[in-house]
Amino acid sequence: MFALQLALSGLAQGAIYALVALSMCVVNRATTVVNFGHGDLVMAGAFVVYLFVVLAGLPFVASAILAVALLFILGVLIELGLIERIKAGPHIGFALMCIAFGYVLRGIARAVWGREVLPMPTVFNLPPVFLGELVITADALVIFAAVGVLLIAFFLLFYRSSAGRVMQALCQSERGAALVGINVRAFHGVMWGVGAALGAVGGVLVAPITLLHPGLGASFLIKGFAAMTLGGFGSFGGAVVGGLVLGVAEQLVGGYVSTKLIDITAYLVIILVLALRPNGLFGRAIAEKV
Amino acid sequence: MRFFLIPLAAAAIPLVANPYTQFMVNLMLVYILVAVGFNLVLGNLGQLAFANTALFGIGAYTGAMLMAHAGWPFWLVIVPAGVAGAAAGFLASVTALRGIRVYYLAIVTLAFGELLRWSYIHGERATGGTDGLAVPRADFFGLALDSETARFYVFLVIVTVLVKALHNLLRSKIGRAIVAIRDNELATASLAIPTGRYIVLAFVLSGFVVGIAGSLFAVLIGRVIPESFGLIELILHFAMVLVGGLGSLFGGVLGAVALTALPEFFRGFPGMYEMFFGGLLIVFLLVQPRGLAALAARWFPALRERYYRER
Repeated sequence: MFALQLALSGLAQGAIYALVALSMCVVNRATTVVNFGHGDLVMAGAFVVYLFVVLAGLPFVASAILAVALLFILGVLIELGLIERIKAGPHIGFALMCIAFGYVLRGIARAVWGREVLPMPTVFNLPPVFLGELVITADALVIFAAVGVLLIAFFLLFYRSSAGRVMQALCQSERGAALVGINVRAFHGVMWGVGAALGAVGGVLVAPITLLHPGLGASFLIKGFAAMTLGGFGSFGGAVVGGLVLGVAEQLVGGYVSTKLIDITAYLVIILVLALRPNGLFGRAIAEKV
Repeated sequence: MRFFLIPLAAAAIPLVANPYTQFMVNLMLVYILVAVGFNLVLGNLGQLAFANTALFGIGAYTGAMLMAHAGWPFWLVIVPAGVAGAAAGFLASVTALRGIRVYYLAIVTLAFGELLRWSYIHGERATGGTDGLAVPRADFFGLALDSETARFYVFLVIVTVLVKALHNLLRSKIGRAIVAIRDNELATASLAIPTGRYIVLAFVLSGFVVGIAGSLFAVLIGRVIPESFGLIELILHFAMVLVGGLGSLFGGVLGAVALTALPEFFRGFPGMYEMFFGGLLIVFLLVQPRGLAALAARWFPALRERYYRER
């Protein structure tokens, strides 16, 4: 029973990791850039929601929509204003650029926030649900519902719509896509926007259930990487499964071994997976034989 | 011989510096080692890595723990600190032998660095936890290093020796292999150079230099705390290498000298530090991606380096 309860709360946490990992995957697949600033976009999503709810007094749902829209625009601006402009340089430049804007976002958050850790007022004042002896909090239910709907929408859009086919074409070959008349630049911008917006949803969902601080981004970045690594890089389904597995694994480790280890589960997952099975559970081969 | 003109000229600094500026100059010397060590991986090898603060930290903790717990004198802990850094560099990069490259290797180094920082915080008995570990008074072969000037001369000698060693290394077979891997790994491998092993070797050498920098840092600051080796510190390392010049030895020195004193100005303004260094990275990436070293080489052709493209 204890294990089941742990797994259940792990799944709620894991759903958020899954969303973060999926949003990182979107940017990675579409533009081949691994976004090392993505955690800070998630943090920014949570931060903007906090600002709207607490300072502007808007209702949570309206703030959430505004935050996601703002982050979409920010994602597009980052791609067109920063990433696109260093296309000609070495690939290490992309990564450094992502790190740099991540730090800028973190700095802005810290400047506005100060040094405190801020709790967000509870948003969903619903009673928990009891399933036999298991307790499911209302927050967890909202997270499951939101992530579930988003995932279904995303996979339908990507695999079943014509816009999705354009995205798939881009992921397979940029040059080929350009040859059949796809505006590669515009799509890169849109995919960055989608990635940032999906990440922001993760931030929005996590804001009511956790303490907010500017360092949140770094931990989300590592959790997202761990989920992606576990699922196999570049695999959307793998990222989702990886996120859920990571969430459950953290709770089990915390419940049965030591709560101190919750923080480092993600690091250990990354190191072990890349050392033992670099392709993850569902990934394409990433290790090159040279 | 031209190489030694700079440290010779620098030897006159204590004549004009007050204790505070002397402290800053000493800190610059520490960061010169940090930047040139990091540059070996980031610039010469062309491999993104996040483990540099971890290597710096393990050097600092090794030095501090040997001095505080085992009572070793300062001069005896310098090499062990470097070896500890080298071992950490090995562990951070060993998956390269399994074919892990580029971003994936970078992610491993990120996880490894955070793992090490976690162990500083939770290894209270050895590291003092979040409160940190006080470093006993250092002496160098009987000479008490209790003034900034005394530390300056010892640091200057160590830094000069190590930078010269790196300078020679870059012109050796090893250095050429490392630069060749950056430019085209497949072509390098076709010359029967085991690229995976050279990648690990670059991390090990970088860890050695940065680990020694850590032990100097511990003696200079007098206390090692986990906070000093976190993500806040990492952006400073990145900025030093990029502002100085990716892949340029002289650039690493320039970057360290240019940026070491800046964090002091941001003390009272939370967030300024991250915004400034993040913004600085963005500006340099957009405008001057080859860093200050490229500008310097354009104006003074004598500063050109053989394995560095200023373009």
